[in-house]
Amino acid sequence: MSALLLALLLQATPAPTATPAAETTPTPAAESASPAPEHPAAEAEGHAAGAATPASPEAHAPEAGGHAAAEGAEHAERPADIIFHHVMDGPMFGGAVKSKHLLYLFLVALLVIAIAQLSVRSYRGGHVPKGLGAAVESLVLFIRDEVAEPNIGHGEGGKWTPLLCSFFFFILMAALIGLLPFSATTTGNISVTLGLAAISFAAQQWAGISKYGLAGHFHNLVPPGMPVLLLPIMIPVEILGMFTKPFALTIRLFANMLAGHMVITTLLLLISLMGQLHWLAGAAMTPISIVLAVFIMLLELLVAFIQAYIFTLLTAIFIGMYAHPAH
Amino acid sequence: MDPKGLAYLGAGIGAGLAIIGGGAGIGRLAAAALEGIARQPNAVADIRGAMIVAAGLIEGATFFALIVTILLAIK
Repeated sequence: MSALLLALLLQATPAPTATPAAETTPTPAAESASPAPEHPAAEAEGHAAGAATPASPEAHAPEAGGHAAAEGAEHAERPADIIFHHVMDGPMFGGAVKSKHLLYLFLVALLVIAIAQLSVRSYRGGHVPKGLGAAVESLVLFIRDEVAEPNIGHGEGGKWTPLLCSFFFFILMAALIGLLPFSATTTGNISVTLGLAAISFAAQQWAGISKYGLAGHFHNLVPPGMPVLLLPIMIPVEILGMFTKPFALTIRLFANMLAGHMVITTLLLLISLMGQLHWLAGAAMTPISIVLAVFIMLLELLVAFIQAYIFTLLTAIFIGMYAHPAH
Repeated sequence: MDPKGLAYLGAGIGAGLAIIGGGAGIGRLAAAALEGIARQPNAVADIRGAMIVAAGLIEGATFFALIVTILLAIK
């Protein structure tokens, strides 16, 4: 992302030897036509100059002469393209990895498994867990005692705790990994959240079917004592509600993960947009943008925990709903 | 008028309206929760849990609207 920002900044301040038109027009075409091969170079450049990005308006702008720079940058990518390039799925490492979200999906999954194994290891031999084990234990106990037991039912919550813990730690880890530079938020892809919600949906239905049988489960959807005349309305509504729940889980997690990254990118993009007007405007925008971006970044830390909690809690509530239908 | 411009206009206005609705909803929710906590300080854990669930549901509805506006803006 910062590599693209840098490219935009450099386009806004062309080198004095070349004319702006000759320099800038081929670049967007080349970038949109073949994004994959350019990536290693662009990313390496972004890596090296990432820290210097805020300073570049001051460094290059005196040669730019304002008007020519703004004209040259008009041919650059639209801001929306840059924002969506940052949050959408795409190749990584110059096409070596076809889908960065898939790569990070497996990376996060392996990390969660590794953390679970490491924290379980500290229990072996009857020791009181220390360090990582104790930290993970407090979260697992929180999910069992505060999320699973009260919502699914006392004594039954323990059965669903492993699933809920998997949801919680996977979503939390995916969001936290996504905050690292040059990484991707795998839960910011609607296919990933749809997969998570499908597992949640299967768990909800299984909670009802395993307890009451298939016929009993569907019979439970309609509250007892319902007038027969209302049944044609109630049955479609209940079946619709069955599928709305996982759909809402999908959209909620996806949009939350997407929104924070889009806001951060937009805030940082403001620097180069202002820099296209005048280099002083860009320089003045830089501290404001960075402070706001850091603020949103901290908010994202909070959102990572809240969304992991909400997804887990709602799954537990829905499971409890099917395990204990209205009497 | 350029239909694409109208679509962008609609997306912008739609996003603003969605945020007004979501903000008002969560604001009312937080006000009610704070009032409840002030009356019953020992029920703070229950109120917080119920508040987060309700906030999540409101937020989900708001995000439906925002996704529609984003689709409008990028198509």
